[in-house]
Amino acid sequence: MNQLVAIMQRELRHELRSRRAWLAILLYIASTVYITYLAFQHDLEPVTWNALFWILIIFISMFAASGSFSGREGEMLYIYTLVSPARFILARLLYNGIFMVIVSIITLFVYMMFTGNPVGSIAVFMATVLLAVWGISSLLTMAFAISIKGGGGFTLMAIISFPLLVPLLIIAQHLSSQSMQPNPSEYLGNLAALLSLDALIAALCYLLFPYLWRD
Amino acid sequence: MTQGILTAKWWKVLCALLLIYTATAGFLIPVPAKPILHETIRNLYFHVCMWFAMMFIFTVSLVYSIKYLMDPKKEFDIIASQTANTGTVFGILGLITGMLWLRYTWGETGRDWWAPDPKLNGALIALLSYFAYIVLRISMDDEQKKARVAAVYNIFAYVMMIVFVMIYPRLSNVDSLHPGNGGNPGFNQYDLDNHMRMVFYPAVMGWVLLSAWIASINIRMEKINSYHHNKI
Repeated sequence: MNQLVAIMQRELRHELRSRRAWLAILLYIASTVYITYLAFQHDLEPVTWNALFWILIIFISMFAASGSFSGREGEMLYIYTLVSPARFILARLLYNGIFMVIVSIITLFVYMMFTGNPVGSIAVFMATVLLAVWGISSLLTMAFAISIKGGGGFTLMAIISFPLLVPLLIIAQHLSSQSMQPNPSEYLGNLAALLSLDALIAALCYLLFPYLWRD
Repeated sequence: MTQGILTAKWWKVLCALLLIYTATAGFLIPVPAKPILHETIRNLYFHVCMWFAMMFIFTVSLVYSIKYLMDPKKEFDIIASQTANTGTVFGILGLITGMLWLRYTWGETGRDWWAPDPKLNGALIALLSYFAYIVLRISMDDEQKKARVAAVYNIFAYVMMIVFVMIYPRLSNVDSLHPGNGGNPGFNQYDLDNHMRMVFYPAVMGWVLLSAWIASINIRMEKINSYHHNKI
C-alpha cells in the first residue's frame, strides 16, 4: 500500500514538474473541441453530439496516455529494482485512471461550453463517462507498455489499441445515447457490462504486465 | 508428440474426403425452401464453418501463447504465431462469404456490403486485433522479446474478443440480424433439417481440419526457416 502511494506521488510530482505535458493536453483539448465546433456550428443533433464526444475522448486519451511514459525508459529501469511489476502496474492503472478521468471531465466541460448540453439524465451519462474512461485509460496503459517494448511508440500504440478499444466505446455509446432521454430505462445491465469489462481489463493488466518487463 | 500429429497422414486424408463431400453434397442435396434465403442457405456449409475454423485455430494460438509465457520455448512461439496467421486467413474468408451472403438476403438485394450487426462488428474487431498482432510481430527484431510481447498481446486480444462477443448481443437495444438473435429463429429450431445436418457437421469438421493442416505446414516451414537462420 505504501509502495502504491509512493509510486503515485512520484508520478504526480513528475507530472506537475513538467508543465509542458499539462499545457499540451489542455491545448489539445481546446483545439480539438474548437475544431469540431467550427465544423458543426450550432446544429448538433443529440446523436451527432454523442458520437463526436466519444471520438474526441478517444483521441484526447490517446494523446494523454502517450505523454505519460515517453522519454522515461531509463527511469523505469530504476523503479523495477525497487518494486514488483504487479505493484507498479496497479499504481500506474490507478494514477492513469484518475488522471484520465480529470482530463475527460475537462473535455466534457469545454465541449458543453461550445456545443450545448443535450444530456437528459446527467447521472447515467456521468457514470458512463467515468467507467468508460477508466477502462480506456487502463487499456491504453497496457497498450503503451506493449508498444514501448515493441519499439514503435505512438503509431504502434494506436494500431494495437484501436481494435481493443472498440468494445468499450460501443457499450459507452449505447449507454450515453440512452442517457439523452430524461428517464432512461434498462441502463443498469449496460452499466454492469461496462463495469465488468473494466474489471476484466484490470485483471488482464495485472496478470500479464509482469511478463512484459522481464528482460 | 506434437511432431507426430503434425506429420501424421490420416487426418489430412479425412479432411480432404470431408471437404470433397461438402463441396459435392453441399450443392446437390436438397435444402428447405425458405423465403428470402432460398438456395443461398447452402452458404451455411462455408460461411459458418470459416468461423468455427477461425475460433478453433485462434484458441490453439491462445493455448500456445500461454504455454510460451509459462515456459519460453521457441517451438511454442512458432506454433502460436503461425496459428494466428492461419486464423486471420479464415477470418477474412468468413467475412467475405458473409458479405456475399448479406448482399442477397439482408436489406436491398445487391446493394449493401455491410450491415449494422453486432456479429459483424465482433468479427471485424477480432480480425483487426489479429492484424495488429501481425504488425506488432513485424515491428520487433529481438526474437525472445518479440515472442514474449506478442504472447502477452495475443492473450489480451483473445480474452477481450471473446468477452465482447458474449456481452455485446446481450446489451439492451442491440439486435442481431443473424438467426437466433433479436426475434429471428435459430437454425436449430426448424431451418436446419436433417438433410442439412448431414452436410453441415462434416463440413465443420472438414474446415476445422483444413485450418489445422494449413497451420501445420506453416509451422513446419517456420521451424525450417528458424533452423537455417540460427545456423547462419
